[in-house]
Amino acid sequence: MGRGSRVGMSAFVAFIVGVAAILSLLLGDNPALFGEQPGSDELARRLALPGDALLRLVVIIVAVSIVIGIANLLFAHIGRLAQRKFTSAVLLASFGFTIYWYVTRQGDTSLLEAVQVPIESSLAALLFLSLAQGGARVMQKRADIWGMLFVVVVLVVLLGSLPLAELAPVKTWSDWLMAVPVSAGARALLLGMALGAIVAGARALLGQDRSYRG
Amino acid sequence: MDDTTLQVYSLLFLFATVVLVYTARFFHARPGRRRRQRQIAGFEQIPQWTTQSIESNRPLHLGFGGAAVGGDNTPTALAGAEFFHQVIERSNASDASPLITMSAPATIPLGQDTLRRAWHKGDTLSRARWIPPDLAYAGAVTASMAIDEPTAHIMAGRFGAELALMLDSASRHGQPSLAVSDRLDGQAVAYAMADHVLIGEELYAAAGYVAEDAPARADAAVLDVWRVLILLGAAALLLLEFSRQLAVISLPLVAVAAAVLVLLGVISYRRR
Amino acid sequence: MSEEFNWLDYAEPAESAPEPPQRSGRRRFLPRLPSLPRLPRLPGRPIMPGLPRLPMPALLRRRRAEATLEQPSATDLLGGHDERPLDELDDRLLSLRERSVASAQPSAESRQELYDVDDVLVTPEILEKPGGVISAVALSKAQQQQIELLRDIVGGAPQANEPSGRRLLRAAPLFSLSAVPRIIGTGIILLMVSLPFVSPDFAEGERPPSDFDEDRHGAIAVYNLLDNLSTADFVLIGFEYGPTAAGELDPLADLLIRHIVAQGAKPLIVSSKPIAIVHAQNIIREINRSVASAELRLERGSDYHILRYLPGGSLGLRELSENFADVVRVSAKGELTGLVIKSLSEMSLIVLLAEYAEDMRNWAEQVMPEADGTRLLAATGYAAAPIAQVYADAMDEIAGLLVGYRDVYTYGEKLAFNFGELPQAQPEVAPASPETATVPPVETTGEQAAQLERVLSTAFPSPTKTVLPTATSLPTTTPLPTVTSPPTATHLPTATATLETIRIVEVISPQQVRIRRGPTTADDILQLARAGDSFEVTGANGDESWYRIALSNGLDGWIAAFLVEERMVTAAEFRSGQASASANLADERVILWLESIVSLGKTRPRFYQSDSPAPGDELEYIWMRDRSQEAPRLHAMTFGTLAAILLIAVGNVFYALAALRRRGREAQSE
Repeated sequence: MGRGSRVGMSAFVAFIVGVAAILSLLLGDNPALFGEQPGSDELARRLALPGDALLRLVVIIVAVSIVIGIANLLFAHIGRLAQRKFTSAVLLASFGFTIYWYVTRQGDTSLLEAVQVPIESSLAALLFLSLAQGGARVMQKRADIWGMLFVVVVLVVLLGSLPLAELAPVKTWSDWLMAVPVSAGARALLLGMALGAIVAGARALLGQDRSYRG
Repeated sequence: MDDTTLQVYSLLFLFATVVLVYTARFFHARPGRRRRQRQIAGFEQIPQWTTQSIESNRPLHLGFGGAAVGGDNTPTALAGAEFFHQVIERSNASDASPLITMSAPATIPLGQDTLRRAWHKGDTLSRARWIPPDLAYAGAVTASMAIDEPTAHIMAGRFGAELALMLDSASRHGQPSLAVSDRLDGQAVAYAMADHVLIGEELYAAAGYVAEDAPARADAAVLDVWRVLILLGAAALLLLEFSRQLAVISLPLVAVAAAVLVLLGVISYRRR
Repeated sequence: MSEEFNWLDYAEPAESAPEPPQRSGRRRFLPRLPSLPRLPRLPGRPIMPGLPRLPMPALLRRRRAEATLEQPSATDLLGGHDERPLDELDDRLLSLRERSVASAQPSAESRQELYDVDDVLVTPEILEKPGGVISAVALSKAQQQQIELLRDIVGGAPQANEPSGRRLLRAAPLFSLSAVPRIIGTGIILLMVSLPFVSPDFAEGERPPSDFDEDRHGAIAVYNLLDNLSTADFVLIGFEYGPTAAGELDPLADLLIRHIVAQGAKPLIVSSKPIAIVHAQNIIREINRSVASAELRLERGSDYHILRYLPGGSLGLRELSENFADVVRVSAKGELTGLVIKSLSEMSLIVLLAEYAEDMRNWAEQVMPEADGTRLLAATGYAAAPIAQVYADAMDEIAGLLVGYRDVYTYGEKLAFNFGELPQAQPEVAPASPETATVPPVETTGEQAAQLERVLSTAFPSPTKTVLPTATSLPTTTPLPTVTSPPTATHLPTATATLETIRIVEVISPQQVRIRRGPTTADDILQLARAGDSFEVTGANGDESWYRIALSNGLDGWIAAFLVEERMVTAAEFRSGQASASANLADERVILWLESIVSLGKTRPRFYQSDSPAPGDELEYIWMRDRSQEAPRLHAMTFGTLAAILLIAVGNVFYALAALRRRGREAQSE
């Protein structure tokens, strides 16, 4: 089979499966679409089956993918160890130790809590510092009217969040900002992304995505 | 609107998109004509970064973040993969293989596949790295800035506020960055802290800007068509609402509304 | 320096970064075995010590036999780059290659030129200036590495007087002046955030209210719906956060789980994030660790269930809503739960702990359509709140939203108040006996009864659950259904002591005041009191800034002196005064008290530590949390935000001015 026909085949399979899933999800479990005929419930139930089966398949594949993730992590670090980057040894050792701990202590996960929660909490604290530093440098990167607007909104919202009685008027502005322009902007962004997602989805459905093109 | 009606509308919308995609591809595929695209500043750095990666023998870092195949953000992951594919193709004369990171395990095959197709060389398995999500991801990427010394960072996928840690660190390492996130907090951080930023749906148009091939450019054009249609729809609704509230159509108000909309349109097409 | 450099004998520097992998098409599946670690470097190294040397570009290395000076760039080198199948090259590279192949073929002369190159390019000697002053040559780390590489390529040997150069060309400094503003900013933030933990004097900012504002119906609904649960209820908890958000969401999770189990309901915890499952187990472990008595500890399988992980993000949640019976069958540890629940609608409530707005969206879109009337309560951090609020406002199925620390504080106060103590007027009218333990024969006026009905119907919106519970409905298996009458009346002065004068304090503050376990604001709150409430004084602290008072339940509490007025009265007056005070506040008190009775009547199986608490005993309840750090944490948040505001304002003004000056200069130079 040549490369072209392989591409055509995978695109065809993608298209058929995609359309089947969409139709099944749309028509399935929706007896109202078939009117008041006898057996419409049964028909709708049956139509839902392929869509459900496909979704379950995806769920199973995604569940297995976490194993791939761990394998990827381990192989990458074994590779780095081979390149004499010994920091990877720490990762591999802690991986082994955690598994040993879990198995020998009947599923005790306190190790994770004792290590990961403090580390991630301190990273979260660092994140606050990074955000504050980044916020202070907006005008360094975007010295224009939009950058200025961004900073002003950030300041008003932050001031509004302070529990100080003297700042009550700022709180009303900040509430208004959050409720009207910020919310409108957020929706516009989400709308734009939804549009993008639909175009990307349509491309995948048509078998035009890179993964099908061989 | 009940669920069934909504589903039917969604299907119609999808169908219209498919038709638009085909139409746009037809027009873009005609030889000898290269259609103009609106300018997006975020993309202008990419040729420079790919060249730098080739000449300095340092990798590019391409981050998916939490974009996952199989979840609600599958399109984000696919769009990111297409974008990365185009970037890697531009840089594949380099010796340093690009580094792709992701925090969703389901995206690993996508990342490896992207690298394999675009990089044409060996050693693709270990260069697509899975890192546990969120802050752990930020921590690991930050560490890799010192170890792998990437030429630049292109973060296109799903990121939250943890993007701040990476961008802050990148700027301290003198490594430029381009960021876009389908999550709002990540997008805000990207705007404030990245050297270059893409906003919202520009991520989905990215391949069309980096690539020279017609289909990708056509898809980017479809997005623009939808934007214009939605703006016009919003304008029509706004005018309708005005006239309904005033009982009569007031000309000055309509003019103001129209002016606002034109301004919005200009802003949206204006080069950032 | 003078000997001819031989490409073919060229060896990579020993300490070079790893060699790029073989590109021969065959892939190495097994990593190369690591060789023994090298010994530390000895002195006398080339001029740029401490810098990893750049590897020779593989392209150059592989093609060095043919390389000529006519191929100055990587793009040109591509011309001779042919180990890759040509049909795999994309159009751009293919055209580049064709162009370069078509251009001049390397001539013998040009080849020769390369061999003579070390005569042309002599690396300058860098000498140390006396006194060790930094030389004028300031090269970046990357530049230094590139010099080294160039030197390797052209065959330059290290200079004889290397060691002296070492002190001149330094690696990138550990500290640079440009980092100063960053360090100062970080220092200010850290200092301000830590102040409230250092001294209680740094308590800027109002504390959140003790009860939810009327205009935030959502939060009140969350409380009331949880408070209306009973032993027959199952609550599905969507536990969608991991260690990343632990700092912000752990208190909320802890509070809500305690409230649910205090009501006797059973939480079923489920998550679409594997790490969150582990974290949920640890939250429960923490709750168990915080209670002293074994009876209060939560047992997996009987008091709560942690269900299996839902892979696939939104698809996993879809699976949860559609195949609920399957999901609840298996626990996170892969054991059978023994639960037979057919559908999501059999849940009494759904509680979602969401780290991101997307979690809220996924639950709202994937789970709630199948919930069929069961309502969702959400708790999020500040970052997710704005979008979560949009969903909460838009969807009727979402009853309410709790956000961050401030709501934790208010919720905790409300919980402590409502669970903690019956109002003081209660002993006068409450004959609640352990045998009946139901609605006592309250003599309410018609107006009060009407008001009561109103309150109950708003507080407990679900009509099926407003029925005042009876003792007969109590399950016999629960450990503590005894609903002991609070040991209050015994503590009041007896009628025989009418002439005895006692010292009392009366609350004069117009706002609710807190009665605490000890004489500091850091101590736990035992109960709240209102203006007009009076208490017998049993002691005071050293400077009399706090009074120790006798509470109606037999416990001792502490109240700040400036909130109260002290008097001497006879015991009889005190009793009648209490009665009249309770009459003045009758409506409110009856309502409050009845709410408490309603709660009691429903039985809170995890209420008391023992069946017969003696007066003065430390009682232990599952809902009691260590809240000592809550106030400093809130103040730290206020201070941290203030510092961030300061930093952002100052920083941006500075950079804006700098940008303006730069533009001015640019305009001038043009």
